[in-house]
Amino acid sequence: MKLLARGFILLVLIFLYLPIAVMALMAFNASPLYALPFQFSTEWFEALATDDVLLTAARNSALIAVATAVLATLLGTAAAVALHRARFPGRDTLRVLLLPPIAIPWLITGTAMLLFFFWTGIGRGLHAMLIGHVALAIPYVVLVVNTGLSGVRRDLEEAAKSLGSTPLHAFFAVTLPLLLPSVIAAALFAFAVSLDQFVISYFLATPGVVTLPVQIYAAIRKGFTPEINAISTILLGVSMIVILGFAWLSKAGGALERR
Amino acid sequence: MHLSAVDVTAVGKSYGGARVLDNIHAQFREGSFTSLLGPSGSGKTTLLRIIAGFVAPDTGRVRIGAQDVTTVPVHARNIGMVFQSYALFPHMTVADNIAFGLHRRGIRGAELQRRVADVLAMVKLGDFAQRLPKQLSGGQQQRVALARAIVINPTVLLLDEPLSALDRRLRQEMQVELRRIQRDSGLTTIFVTHDQEEALTLSDHVAILDRGRIVQEGAPIAIYERPTSRFAAAFLGDANFLSGRVVEGGLQVGTQTIRISGTVTPTVAVRPEKMTLLPEGASTDGFDNLLPATVRQVVYAGAATTYLLDGADGTPLRVFAQNREGTPAEPGSRVTLGWSAAHTIPVTD
Amino acid sequence: MTAATPAGASAKAPPRALPGWVATVALLLPTYAWLTLAVFLPLCAMLLFSVLTKAPFGNVHPQLTTANYMVFVRQPYLLDVAWTSLKLGFLTTALCALIGLPAAMALKLGASGRLRSVLFLLIILPFWTNGLVRIFSWTMVLREDGFLDMAVHAIIPSAPSAGILFSQSAIVIGLVHGYLPYMILTCFISLLAIDDSLIEAARSLGARWPVIFLRVILPLVVPGLVSGAILTFVPVIGSFMEPRILGGRVGVTMGTVIEDQFTAAFNWPRGAALSFTMLAVVLAIFATFSGVLRQSAARADASS
Repeated sequence: MKLLARGFILLVLIFLYLPIAVMALMAFNASPLYALPFQFSTEWFEALATDDVLLTAARNSALIAVATAVLATLLGTAAAVALHRARFPGRDTLRVLLLPPIAIPWLITGTAMLLFFFWTGIGRGLHAMLIGHVALAIPYVVLVVNTGLSGVRRDLEEAAKSLGSTPLHAFFAVTLPLLLPSVIAAALFAFAVSLDQFVISYFLATPGVVTLPVQIYAAIRKGFTPEINAISTILLGVSMIVILGFAWLSKAGGALERR
Repeated sequence: MHLSAVDVTAVGKSYGGARVLDNIHAQFREGSFTSLLGPSGSGKTTLLRIIAGFVAPDTGRVRIGAQDVTTVPVHARNIGMVFQSYALFPHMTVADNIAFGLHRRGIRGAELQRRVADVLAMVKLGDFAQRLPKQLSGGQQQRVALARAIVINPTVLLLDEPLSALDRRLRQEMQVELRRIQRDSGLTTIFVTHDQEEALTLSDHVAILDRGRIVQEGAPIAIYERPTSRFAAAFLGDANFLSGRVVEGGLQVGTQTIRISGTVTPTVAVRPEKMTLLPEGASTDGFDNLLPATVRQVVYAGAATTYLLDGADGTPLRVFAQNREGTPAEPGSRVTLGWSAAHTIPVTD
Repeated sequence: MTAATPAGASAKAPPRALPGWVATVALLLPTYAWLTLAVFLPLCAMLLFSVLTKAPFGNVHPQLTTANYMVFVRQPYLLDVAWTSLKLGFLTTALCALIGLPAAMALKLGASGRLRSVLFLLIILPFWTNGLVRIFSWTMVLREDGFLDMAVHAIIPSAPSAGILFSQSAIVIGLVHGYLPYMILTCFISLLAIDDSLIEAARSLGARWPVIFLRVILPLVVPGLVSGAILTFVPVIGSFMEPRILGGRVGVTMGTVIEDQFTAAFNWPRGAALSFTMLAVVLAIFATFSGVLRQSAARADASS
């Protein structure tokens, strides 16, 4: 039975990683048309270095992702602390209100943003995409930080207060250091969410001001160049590393908080 | 003028519809060790947390030292608190934990080091300064928590069932240590516990709480020997309860008239160790009160024996007898219980 | 030792604590203000647009109308498109469930401890990477002269082209690939919550595996299955990127139609109306299954 189970999982993993592996492989293939036999080459990666369009798009993506990570983590952590600690009527409603950004199909949210931003003069472009990305990332940050907060014991802050800490000092001296792994994990998550975001960026982009996924999409629709392969592989690799970092941090955080 | 260190006046607190504390008046003398004793739900922890400042009372006032602190937040009350789970900061060393409160008071440098070292010596953990809490045993963590609270020289030391997580032997050791440290430091101490033995051993003063009210308070020996209510008599130690009709000269219980010292009430209490078991035929001279009973069960424990008996009307009774004679009475045998009027305590129900 | 009062206290008036709600509001306001600006107001604006005759830009003064919502009546082909989208949703969800539940069970049965965590991470990892890139990678496999085509011809040289790109099947494959990890995740979390002793008790009472599965495991895994299904179905019916890339001309869904209204036809009021109709469907689904979803969320919280 166990063998059967493991075999099935293997099949699933093959299914999941096959196309990705093929793409990565082809990124290193000299032929521009995927013709086999396979010839190792890094020319497509080198070509990237001179492809201004892709480079600009990549730079935009990275900038927005970093900004999203910072903003979403700040806002989301504050909200998570308030939602976790304070008791007030309507708290559950507020919690539910965090769901729309992730539960509603991004097509709907994206077109709504486009419509609203255009109408109110906020316009499209990098700043608009930032607004959208942060809104999408905040619920995830709140989720991750909330889980971390559950692991920090309440009486630690009380002990700090009994020794003379103001509530603010108690938070920064006791709670935050213990919460830090979760906060950093949340920041990584927000970074990944922003980096991989396509739909919202698509609707809020203007010609010339695009993020990497949007540019890749345009290139796919126009016709294929192998550089797309290369940049996609890089993007995939970066996402994976960030998520792996997040996973490691979430586990590492637990060890310090528990006695 | 000898001002009490902590003063609680007319404090009340409700949660939802439930009245957790009702009209609490209490004074805690400077340098005294007071236990707040009661079963779970009695409000003792809530009272402690109101004194600490974590909970605001609905009514009443709290004074610590010369200050009315009712509206003052926790961090400004100059209290020292030891939590049930110790609440040591896991990301700081023992020394940093202890120094925390001193830092908040602006104490730095050489004086900080000296005071941390002094208090560590006082709790006998001098070598443990650089350890992390997770490297310490339960008993050691407890002592660090205590050191952290007393090093800041608070106006009052508050302890919330700090020994409940320790095993029996360690607990008894810590009780002795705690008392020694309290005497040496002279700190006014308020100690919450549900363990009546602990309260009796440690305290100068005990306040018994039941369902939000202080039912009795006083020195341990006073409230043990003279409980005023059925609850106090049963919660602090064991007690036999006899009920009957109030008559001229005492209480009519069955065919006996029980003589009492003080005002007669329908229910009286007698401590089990104050009764003497008189086997059939033994002399009954010298006892104010006598009651026939049948031995139901004998619990032999070496130095002492507990007898569980049934009175004439079926009332359950128990007697603690020191093992002087060597041969305990048999189950089923008929005996007479004898005790003095002075040990018959009138209690309210 | 002299008594020292902490920094916060003064000899004169004792400090009063700020009312707690001030801090709470300060912490919550930035987040919810941002969400209002970015999500809630836009949705309201979209609702408004959907009942206008024209987009209110420039000097245009549009009037109120329900014509945009009536478009389903006027252009019946949209009903076909809607139906196609729903079918796509059902098919994808069904396939994800059929593969995902056994996979989750296989993960629970076939591995434990470290190995299980590693395998789980490997399964989940693709889900958190770029969806566009993953779909793009499928074009490489499914196109003519792509990986699949070449593999088939390597075994059966005379077979017709196995390049199935630009077909409904390709879309389904891409979507299933995208959402399978998530379905495995929700089923797995549900399965983890099932106490092994329940299964042992059933076996000791004489039950065989089919019975155990039907009567013990399945009922307890249903919440995970349902929440995974909903959170697959909802995004799928709104997808436009996958149908376009993998379906080409064949890939027409509600998602692509809506996208067209905004980027090609520039009929924003109509796009808004169609969007809002889809939103209504989505909210209806969530409302119907809210009980199950909340239960799964609570379990996910507890096991994390």
